[in-house]
Amino acid sequence: MRKLMKYMMLLMILIPFVVMMIWSVTSSWPWPQLFPRNFSLRGYFYAIHPTTKAFGILLQSILLSVIVTVITLTISIPAARAIAFYDFKGKSLVKVLILMPVIVPMLSVAMGIHLTFTKLGLANTYLGVILIHVVPGIPYGVKILLSIFELNGDKVEAQARVLGASAFQTFRYITLPLIMPGMVIAGSMIYIISFSQYFITFLIGGGRVVTYAMFLFPFVQSGDRTMASALSVIFILSIALVVYISEKSVGFFYQKSSKYYV
Amino acid sequence: MKKICVILVLMLVFISVLAGCKKEVVTEKDIADMTFDEIVEAARGTTVTFYGWGGSEDINKWLDETVAKSLMDQYEVTLERVPMVPAEYLPKLLNEKQLNSKGTIDVLWINGENFYSAKNNDLLYGPFTEKLPNFNTYLDGTSPDVLYDFGQPVEGYEAPYGKAQMVFIGDTGKLTTLPKGHQELLELAKAHPGKLTYIDASHFTGSAFVRNIIYDIVGYEVFLDHVADKATLKETIQPALDYLKELKPYLWREGVTYPAEDAQLDNMFEDGEVYMTMTYTPFHVAGKIADGSFPETAQGFLFDKGTIGNTHFMAMPFNAPNKAAAMVLIHHILSPEIQVTKYDPSVWGDLPVTDPLKLTEAQMALFDAVDIGQGTVPQEELLVKRLPEMRADLVPIIEEIWRDEIPGN
Repeated sequence: MRKLMKYMMLLMILIPFVVMMIWSVTSSWPWPQLFPRNFSLRGYFYAIHPTTKAFGILLQSILLSVIVTVITLTISIPAARAIAFYDFKGKSLVKVLILMPVIVPMLSVAMGIHLTFTKLGLANTYLGVILIHVVPGIPYGVKILLSIFELNGDKVEAQARVLGASAFQTFRYITLPLIMPGMVIAGSMIYIISFSQYFITFLIGGGRVVTYAMFLFPFVQSGDRTMASALSVIFILSIALVVYISEKSVGFFYQKSSKYYV
Repeated sequence: MKKICVILVLMLVFISVLAGCKKEVVTEKDIADMTFDEIVEAARGTTVTFYGWGGSEDINKWLDETVAKSLMDQYEVTLERVPMVPAEYLPKLLNEKQLNSKGTIDVLWINGENFYSAKNNDLLYGPFTEKLPNFNTYLDGTSPDVLYDFGQPVEGYEAPYGKAQMVFIGDTGKLTTLPKGHQELLELAKAHPGKLTYIDASHFTGSAFVRNIIYDIVGYEVFLDHVADKATLKETIQPALDYLKELKPYLWREGVTYPAEDAQLDNMFEDGEVYMTMTYTPFHVAGKIADGSFPETAQGFLFDKGTIGNTHFMAMPFNAPNKAAAMVLIHHILSPEIQVTKYDPSVWGDLPVTDPLKLTEAQMALFDAVDIGQGTVPQEELLVKRLPEMRADLVPIIEEIWRDEIPGN
C-alpha cells in the first residue's frame, strides 16, 4: 500500500513533465489522438541557434542566481541565528516583517524600488538586479534556517566555546556543518526563486540584464506550445543540474567533518 | 571554504565593475540639428537596442538575423533585441521621466493605446520621421495608415513598421462554406453548435473581432466623430449587441465563457475543438500550415464588407541613449529591401508599409516574387477590404459594454 502511494506520488510529479517533454518535440497533437501526429525539433534548434544567444543567456542567468543565492544565505544565517537564540524587543514583529516579501506582492513595490534605484544609479545595472533578487529570497532563507537553528539549539556551539574554540572555529567546525542540510534546502529554494524572477528583472535590469526567464516567458505567453515546452525543459534541467551539483559538492566537502547530516 | 569565499567576492567586484563601465554613447549634439548623413556617421560602430514583443520565433529570427546582419553590413551598427512589451517598458519610462534620468531603450515597437499614453505622458522623442530619407521616398505620408494610429494623430512621433489586418481562418475540411458576413456566420454557428467561438473581447484580437462585427452591422463611418460616452455608444452598437446575444447560445460552451487569447483559440482550432480561429497577422495561417500545426484544409477569409486593419509603429523614447543609431535602424527597416523580407509568410508575413506606387520596377518585382503561401488571402484583396481601426478612446468603452452584456449566464 505504501509502495503504491509512493509510485502514485512519483507519477503525479512525473506525468506533467513527461507531457512537456513530448510537447517539446511535437508540432501537432490534435485532441482525440493518443500520440502526437507530427514531430519537430524546432524548439531545440532555436535554443542552440547562435543568433538567439540562448546558451549565453542561460549561463549568465545561472551565474546571477548563484551570486544571489550566496548573498541571500550570507544575510540569512546571522539573521536566523539571532532570531533563534537572542531575545530582544519586537522579536515577533521582526519575524512577521521577514515574511513581508512573500505577503506583499513584489509587483506593487517594484515600481517604488525602481524609482529609488534610478536615483541611486542602480537601475539598469547587474548589481541592481542582484539586490532586487535578494529580496524575495530572504523570507525562505531565514525561515528555513531559523527552524534548523531552533532544532539544533546552541548547546553544541556553547560546548565548543567552553573547550576553547574561537568564534570563527566554532562557526567553521560546528555551526556550518550542523546547518548544512538546511543551507542546501534554503539555497535551492533561493536559487529557484531568483532563477524564475521575471518582471522585477525586466524593470530593474531595464533589458540590459537578460535572464533565461525573460527569454522563455514571451513564448509561454504567445502560446507556442512546442517552443515553450522545449525552452521549459531546458529551464527545468538546468535547475535540476545546479541543485544536484550543489548537493553533491556539499556532500563531498562535508564527508569528513559530519557523518550525520549530509 | 575561505578560497571559495574569496573567489565569490572577487567575482562580485568584477561584475560590479563591468556593470559600471558599460559603453555609454554620448550624443553631443542633438540629432535634430544634424543632417541624415551626419547621423549615419555618428551611429557608425555603436549599438542600438530594440524593445518589443518577443513571443514569435519567426519575428525574433528575422530581427536577429536578417535585420541585424544587413544593419551591420550597411551601417556598422549592432542591433540588440530585448523581448519586452509595452506593459513592461512603459512603467520603466514613466519612472525615468519623473527623475529625468538616462535610458536604455533606443527603439520601441508600439501602437494604439500604448502610443496614445506614451505620447500624452511625453515619453517619446519627436517628431523625427521627416528626417528619414526612406520615409520620404517610399512611404505615402498622406495615407491614413501613416498619419493615424487607432485614430490618434501620429505627428511624426512614430514611423510605420508594418501593417496588420484581421483575418478569419476556417477549416474547409469541416465547414462546407466560409461566412461572408455576420448573417452567414450565425447560420454556420446554428449548423455547427458548439464548434465556433471568438476570443474574449478584453483581449486585443477578441476586441478587434467584436469591432469587426459592429462594423459589419452598423458600418464604420458613425464612429469617426462619435462621442466617447458609454450610454450613447451603447445605443449606437445596440444592433450588434443583439446579434452577439442571438449568436451566443450556438457558440462553444454556449457562449458563457470565451477563449482568453489568440493562442488558446489557435490551440483549440489545432486540436479540432473549434472549426474557426482568427488572427491579426494576415499570413499567420501559411506559417501555421507550414510548421504542421494547422491542417492543410485551413483557409483564411474576410467578410465582404471588409475587416479592420491597423499599422504597428516604431518610436524613440525621450531618453534614448543612442538616438542616431535609432534613426538609422528605423530608416533601414523602412527600406523596401527589408520590408519585402518580412512580407514573406515563411519569415513573418507582415504587410509592407511602403507605397507600391513609389517603388521602382525592380523593387516591385521583389514583392511579386514572394510566395504568400497556403491558405492566405492575397494582399490585393486585403487592401481592398481594409477598414480603418476605431479611435483608441472608444475601444475600452466597447470592451466594457461587451463585458457587461455578453459573457456569463
